[in-house]
Amino acid sequence: MNLIDLPANVPWLSLIWLSLVIPTVIIALMKPERKEEIRIIGAVFSFISLALTLLVYLAYDYRSPEKFQFLEEIPWLPELGINYILGVDGISLPMLLLNGIVIFTGALISWNIEDRAREYWALLLLLAAGVYGVFVSLDLFLLFIFYELAVLPMYLLIGIWGSTRKEYGAMKLTLYLMGGSAFIILGMVAVYFSGTLRTFDMRLLAQSALFPRDVQIIFFVPLFLGFAVLAGMFPFHTWSPTGHVAAPTAVSMLHAGVLMKLGAYGCMRVAMWIFPEGANYWLLPIAIATLINAVYGATIAMTQRDFKFMIGYSSVSHMGLTLMGLAAANTIGMTGAVLQMFAHGVMTALFFAVVGRMVYDRTHTRQFPELGGLFSVMPFAAIVFIIAGLSSMGMPGLAGFWAEFNIFMGMWQRFPLIAVLAGVSIPITAGYILIAVYRVFFGEMKNPEFRHLPGLTVQEYVAGVILVAVLIISGIYPAYLTEPIEASVQPIAEALARAGTLGMRFP
Amino acid sequence: MSFQITDIPRILPELMLLLLGLLVLGSDVLTRWGRGPEAQLERAKEAGQLTAVGLGLVFIVGLVQSRFLFIVPDPSGGPLDVLLTLGRNLQAGGPGGSPILGAFATDEFTMVARLTFIGAAFLTSLLAMGYRLTANPGEFYGLLIFSTLGMSIMAAATEFILAYLALELSSISLYVLAGYFRESERSPEAGLKYFLFGSLSSAIFLYGISLIYGFVASENQKAGGTPIVATLFAEVGRFATGDAASSPLLILGMLFIIAGLGYKISVVPFHTWAPDVYQGAPPPVTAFLSTASKAAGFLLLYRLLTTAFPGAVGTPRLEEFNGWTSVLAILALVTVIVGNLAALPQTNARRLLAYSSIGHAGFLLLAVLIWSSTSPVDRTFGTAALIYYLIVYTLTNLGSFGVLAVLTNALGSDDLSAMQGLWRRNMPLTLMMTILVLSLAGIPPLAGFWAKFFVFMAGYQAGAVPLVTIAVIMTVVSLYYYLRFLKAMWILPAPEDTPFKTPPVANAAIIASTALVVLLGLLPNLIWGTISSAASVAAR
Repeated sequence: MNLIDLPANVPWLSLIWLSLVIPTVIIALMKPERKEEIRIIGAVFSFISLALTLLVYLAYDYRSPEKFQFLEEIPWLPELGINYILGVDGISLPMLLLNGIVIFTGALISWNIEDRAREYWALLLLLAAGVYGVFVSLDLFLLFIFYELAVLPMYLLIGIWGSTRKEYGAMKLTLYLMGGSAFIILGMVAVYFSGTLRTFDMRLLAQSALFPRDVQIIFFVPLFLGFAVLAGMFPFHTWSPTGHVAAPTAVSMLHAGVLMKLGAYGCMRVAMWIFPEGANYWLLPIAIATLINAVYGATIAMTQRDFKFMIGYSSVSHMGLTLMGLAAANTIGMTGAVLQMFAHGVMTALFFAVVGRMVYDRTHTRQFPELGGLFSVMPFAAIVFIIAGLSSMGMPGLAGFWAEFNIFMGMWQRFPLIAVLAGVSIPITAGYILIAVYRVFFGEMKNPEFRHLPGLTVQEYVAGVILVAVLIISGIYPAYLTEPIEASVQPIAEALARAGTLGMRFP
Repeated sequence: MSFQITDIPRILPELMLLLLGLLVLGSDVLTRWGRGPEAQLERAKEAGQLTAVGLGLVFIVGLVQSRFLFIVPDPSGGPLDVLLTLGRNLQAGGPGGSPILGAFATDEFTMVARLTFIGAAFLTSLLAMGYRLTANPGEFYGLLIFSTLGMSIMAAATEFILAYLALELSSISLYVLAGYFRESERSPEAGLKYFLFGSLSSAIFLYGISLIYGFVASENQKAGGTPIVATLFAEVGRFATGDAASSPLLILGMLFIIAGLGYKISVVPFHTWAPDVYQGAPPPVTAFLSTASKAAGFLLLYRLLTTAFPGAVGTPRLEEFNGWTSVLAILALVTVIVGNLAALPQTNARRLLAYSSIGHAGFLLLAVLIWSSTSPVDRTFGTAALIYYLIVYTLTNLGSFGVLAVLTNALGSDDLSAMQGLWRRNMPLTLMMTILVLSLAGIPPLAGFWAKFFVFMAGYQAGAVPLVTIAVIMTVVSLYYYLRFLKAMWILPAPEDTPFKTPPVANAAIIASTALVVLLGLLPNLIWGTISSAASVAAR
């Protein structure tokens, strides 16, 4: 935006991720009984991190030819080309902002955690710090380290504070994601030794013609798949609904809202950026997988009886659309993908906040047949849920519309048939969202005790308002997102285009 | 080649270990101790303290001598001249020079190894002090020191007989230590099992040596018969080149040697003793056994193969046999698979870690495979990866077995189920165990991650891509059983929640190893430079 100028000698990006590591340490050293102070510290620091990302966002100049700004470089293990390099561009900035929004609202939503609150908050903030780290890293090795840091706390967060087969869900999720990172390790080693540079600096690795074509084609697969597992790509998506359902609310928010985006981000920033020829070769299979993702995910969501499972599968479906934008491999499709990451992140955080905290923590059930008529009890929850639902259907005026529009346009240019088929997911999405709205908030109230549910807390109101506001603002004025995104996506799309049309085609 | 008086400073740490061992043994035996339990406790404490202080001193001497930290400046007439002169003389015996009598190398490689073993023994002595050890403490600590001495010589040996003697010195001490709890059921069984497997393996090793000796001697006869010491690694390396490198006698001898040392490093199929011994031996001994002893085996194997058989390197391909890297590749393959899969169903924590440490041996072998590349840069990298892995593995396993020792002491059981709800009972211990277990699993930013990443890089560069792929997949399998620790400690409900205390000395050892694991993870270049210099010497 370049609306403000920030002093250049401050390590802004390090501050962003450190602003969540510092409270982790503070909280870990506090007495477990001082729960209220712990919550306040957590919320204040996550707000600070949000404010910092906002500052950086406003100060980033997307018109400048230097795509990566706020660079920080410190040698770490320079003998092996491993360095601490931070920087942001138009792709990582919206993601940073998203993470700031979700961790702050997630912190507000976590106010009712009483059991082992100290450990909960420490792990939650550590998780979000890892996510920040991934989005600001320009060194592949550093990115991977932050990536694992973001994944591992999930195991304990779900295992301890979760519900519904939590141990199974936690173990499944962790093993899937670590399986993904095993692929990434393999890809990283190949990246290191196949080029001639012996470095992990992605800016250097992304130079064209660094890797021979066959290396690109072979090792694109582990690198892309490793991240795609986290993005929930078919057929590696089954961990995601199970994990979401088992996780406590704020963790579901962070997980579906940001962590899965981390996978899609890695697919683009690492796999497609470093191996454009490899990406081009595999576009068709990826596009088909994402088509299945989008349509099949939506269909399964329609059949769920558990409210949270429905949201979980809707995430799978929407992440399918995100990956489809990437598979379009052109500027418009990839812009749509990044926008979808942002829009879906905010929207799904809102979904989980409503389902997990506002509804489930009060009614203690998530089964559709047992719910109903909640509009009269909690109108606020109903309204924000409906707004999020409209965004998820792609209603113009909300963030989701612009994202899906761009994705379908991009895919139309690449594989028109797939774009048409994927269009089926839109009415299905509308179907399950409307059904859910009807069954939960309208319809007949099955359980008379629901009339006496406690009202929403201030924190819940604030979180809901923030998320809805972001959805509406991004819907009305999407340019504040699309312009930096487009400027930064363009070089990647151009590299993909340069790599030629040698890939697989329809027979 | 003859022994010079100036060679004495070069083996000073070993001499000090010998003296220390005798001192600990002697001071315990020659003192008249009371009969009561308190006097016995006092006796154990005294022996332990003497050992710990002594090992600490030897460690410092070794560290100064190695010149890794600093180079002592020339005396300049100041008040510290005495110290400076002492330091200068000490460092005169530092890394460098040709091996003493051709048999005992004192290069950087030896220095790193020596420091690792002495450090491990030091931490083990702390763990042992925190454990209820009363019977014959002098023997216990004395044997610990002798075993360390044996390991230091193993890593330095460049001659077969010396290597064999060092191997025996370290092993025989450990047999006794493993069976040290005579009144318990499992400990004598562990000792006996260890002894039987060990003596069989050393017989195989010895047989391999005799075949090699025969090969070298007869080759030397053919070449004209100048008098040589036919058991020096360098002499073997001189003759085992070209066509002679594929002589059946040599290959058979080499296979026997690998098999003999395979038991020491517990690679499949020579691993079967490990789970029983690790589970049965006194916990501090297990900590020592699974770390320093294994590291010593690896370093000896490494030096032996690279200096005695550089002509029979081969390539690490699984489908054909053409040298020792292909043998090691096959061993690595079965070891990572069997070790990690067998760990899955275990319910006893120590047994689980035993299988996990077998799996780690498989990962470690990946680093040695890179010797098939002729580029010195690659070889240096592989060696550095091996040493880094060994140091990190030693620290991590010492720490985690240390935690298990504390648990066994406090809870009377080392089953995974006994660890349930540990966070409620002893938070610091739970936190440290979590860090250590995650490091074993290779989670960044802990040191174990770097170690694994380095060996994967080495394996990839050696051309063993399928093997590396399988190893990477096995790390995911391993994560399952490592997460079981986390699940037991953090998630499952506690059978009881009375808090217990960690003995302060044991706590110090565990804190030290955990802190180093974290530190080396955050700043791997703290030791990477030193290791690289040691590795480049070894790779020459």
